[in-house]
Amino acid sequence: MKTSSPLAPVPTQPLSRRDFLVRSAAGLTLSFLLPEFRGFTDLRAAPASGGPAVPINAWLTIGADESIALTIGSSEMGQGSFSGLAQILAEDLIVDYDRVITVQGGPTTAVPAPIGTAINTVGSGVTRSNFWRLRDAAAIAREMLVQAAMNALGDPTRANYVINNGVVTHVPSGSAQTYGQLAGAAAMLPVPVSAPLVPDSEFRLIGRTQLRKDIPAKVDGSARYGLDVRLPHMVYGVVRHCPTFGGTLAAMPAKPAGMIAVVPTRVVAGTNRGLEAVNNFNALVVVGPNTWDVWQASKRLSVKWNLPSNVASLNTTQFVNEAKALASVATPYVAGGANLPGTLYTVEGNATAANAAIYQGAAVVDATYTLPYVAHACMEVLNCTVDYVAGVKCDVYVPTQSAKSVLTLVLSLTGLSASQVKVYTTYLGGGLGRKSEVDFVSQAVQVGMAVGRPVKVMWPREEDFTHDQYRPMAVIHAKAGVKVDGSVTGWSYRNVSPSILGQRGAVLGAKGDSQGIEGAQALPYSLGARVTEWVSHTAPIPVGFWRSVGASLNTFGVESMIDELAAATLADPYQFRRNLLTDPRWIAVLDAAANLGGWNTPLPAGRARGIAIGTAFNSIVAEVVEISAATSTSLKVNRVSIALDCYLAVNPGQIESQLTGGVVHGLNAALYGKQTFVGGVAQSKNFNASRMIRMNEMPEVKVALIPNPAAADRTKPLGGVGELGVPTFAPALANAYYKLTGVRLRSLPLFPNATMGGL
Amino acid sequence: MSQLTLNVNGQNHSVTVSDGSMPLLWVLRDLLGLTGTKYGCGIEVCGACSVLIDNQVEHACVFDVTSAVGKKIVTIEGLSPDRSHPAQQAWIEHQVPQCGYCQSGMLICAAGAMKAGHHGAAIASEIHNLCVCGTYPRIKQAVAKL
Ligand code: FES
Ligand code: FES
Repeated sequence: MKTSSPLAPVPTQPLSRRDFLVRSAAGLTLSFLLPEFRGFTDLRAAPASGGPAVPINAWLTIGADESIALTIGSSEMGQGSFSGLAQILAEDLIVDYDRVITVQGGPTTAVPAPIGTAINTVGSGVTRSNFWRLRDAAAIAREMLVQAAMNALGDPTRANYVINNGVVTHVPSGSAQTYGQLAGAAAMLPVPVSAPLVPDSEFRLIGRTQLRKDIPAKVDGSARYGLDVRLPHMVYGVVRHCPTFGGTLAAMPAKPAGMIAVVPTRVVAGTNRGLEAVNNFNALVVVGPNTWDVWQASKRLSVKWNLPSNVASLNTTQFVNEAKALASVATPYVAGGANLPGTLYTVEGNATAANAAIYQGAAVVDATYTLPYVAHACMEVLNCTVDYVAGVKCDVYVPTQSAKSVLTLVLSLTGLSASQVKVYTTYLGGGLGRKSEVDFVSQAVQVGMAVGRPVKVMWPREEDFTHDQYRPMAVIHAKAGVKVDGSVTGWSYRNVSPSILGQRGAVLGAKGDSQGIEGAQALPYSLGARVTEWVSHTAPIPVGFWRSVGASLNTFGVESMIDELAAATLADPYQFRRNLLTDPRWIAVLDAAANLGGWNTPLPAGRARGIAIGTAFNSIVAEVVEISAATSTSLKVNRVSIALDCYLAVNPGQIESQLTGGVVHGLNAALYGKQTFVGGVAQSKNFNASRMIRMNEMPEVKVALIPNPAAADRTKPLGGVGELGVPTFAPALANAYYKLTGVRLRSLPLFPNATMGGL
Repeated sequence: MSQLTLNVNGQNHSVTVSDGSMPLLWVLRDLLGLTGTKYGCGIEVCGACSVLIDNQVEHACVFDVTSAVGKKIVTIEGLSPDRSHPAQQAWIEHQVPQCGYCQSGMLICAAGAMKAGHHGAAIASEIHNLCVCGTYPRIKQAVAKL
């Protein structure tokens, strides 16, 4: 098994022509026209870094030495999409999967971009947004190679040729040539516009579990993450922020003995969030000979900070109280108006009609749900290594989900030209959305420029927890009327939360922040007259994209509320949902989860099940969660059964892994996850105060995938996978908890005071 | 400044530290370039930094380098020269890692439990490290036949 090299250098210079084909005597190189994937469409309007879309982001090289290399622009953070793309390529190129080497590509600002350049790895988008185009490109390459064989043999009848693992055989003569032998001649041929794909019925790879290519390097310590980068003459920097959001450096402390420098770093444009305003010097980086000595020196520094004037109001209790008030009274959006925090955006429906309809119900349920800020807590802390030589170069080694944003940032900070900047994406020890931000990169570049030698800058775990860009808190107010027969007469849903996109410079339109309402809008339930609203909450605390983003908030609100309606009519929660649905895909997923979870089989005393369904990134997902032994401080999650319809499953084994991981992520957040603030200071500083489950608490997880279509339709969107295990866990848990205890869980996490002891 | 000799993965290394209380983790990673051992929490909660010291699983993030002198230290790089340790083989077979960052620690704990004579599920019950990616079920499968 060949393994990928995440640090292969990729040129950042633009090519002079928009070449599909790079002709070379050594073999055939094709570049694919792949769209840059943007998970969050309204960010396109944001003036932040990024520049125009990069149209090309993967390339294929077939060497005279029989090598087949696929350069990939996305990041590998454990989701296995490198291997998924290799699998898709190998299918239509008709080669064995093992032969494809994957190579990490770099970013570029050029348009059109050269081959192999990087894209953002967000929105569970790598496989689904590249599937068809990668297949097309592989098929075109394959047919060019066959054409070269036909030319050599003088028999132009395509039906006379068969391909087996990169060997083209002319059946009548038995003459066989390898792709490596044909690549040079193929490179001289015109590029066809299209080529036939391998029919679904002949798939060898798509839809079948393949071994991941990055795994061998992850069992012997050789996989290089950002924090593992080592350069000659490298020194080490450790970040220390002002503990209070919005605080700024009051005076520079003296450089401690034995250290090389103390560098103040400022918030640069594009990384400002909430109170962390552009040009605020909000952190110091001590630089010295090794991580430990620097970290200790950094801790010993006595630093004076100027705190923001509103520091006394920056408390979780106050945030929650404000949001609760906005959940009932908020000022409607006015086109062209100031629309300050506290503005009410109507996303769909009409409040007057919905409210009238709600009271047609035999029962009215009125519930308010509260979700906390949650940190990402990637296993690998934020870090970035910079090798800057003034006027000459800046090399950046970073575990990033957004190599292109890194490049744009480095160009603007250094003033160097594109040819002088190289960005190397390392493996990511988890990304979870946090590593799509570039605040930590901007600090490392500032330090690199100040010290003029290679420097690796690390955030200690305490900084990682306390200066995150958190999943936004939310207060959700839902109200609905239900008849005795289980039909819903009216539905009103209001989410109050800080705006992720607003903090990134997006000017919000009449429908507010799409992420604020993701998972609550266009619900396929029959809900009578409905209104869906979002209220922008004041956002002093940095917020960001957290695995499954808005869906992780709203699926809790929606699916808890649906369960409350079922309870109000004494209906079975699964049947109640089923009766409100007509979409066959939703029904199939709901049924699959219920079957897998044994919904209709009796449970022993002291156990209960809950169910929830939802959608994110074009996939539909449902979970049945089975729990027992609930006390005021703990409970046992026995089993989780999860069903997914992602339209087309490329690597089922990997999908099972990702969904299981998503369940754990959702479980940690639902039971324990929270960040709270007192006077603008984050209170949970390490894993001991932000508990997560260990092996002995792991529930049994079972996964059912809706079968792939017999022949996939390319006009239908593929669904995401990486984030899909998360959103339905919390509501299914809360629904099980109600069944078990009779207590409705409306505030997350379930155990806010949980801590975790040492090993 | 003090000069110490450490036996890591069967080889003696001489290192100079300014502070004898520097945790072994940073000596391994920064001074010896053995970056397979990971930093996760620094407070003995996550286990990403697990190493074997005289066959015992220890947390290198809180283990003073001075206390490691004269002992046999094994890191993930020393488990085998060629991924042939049975735990490494099982990890590949069962496709355990996701991001992979916690897996050095997981494998060291599995290897330590095997050295202590444990098998199968008993190995799993010796592993308490954190995996944010949630690879626990696959770890259980991987150790089942060890
Ligand atoms: S880094 Fe040592 S236990 Fe977490
Ligand atoms: S595999 Fe990512 S933390 Fe365990």
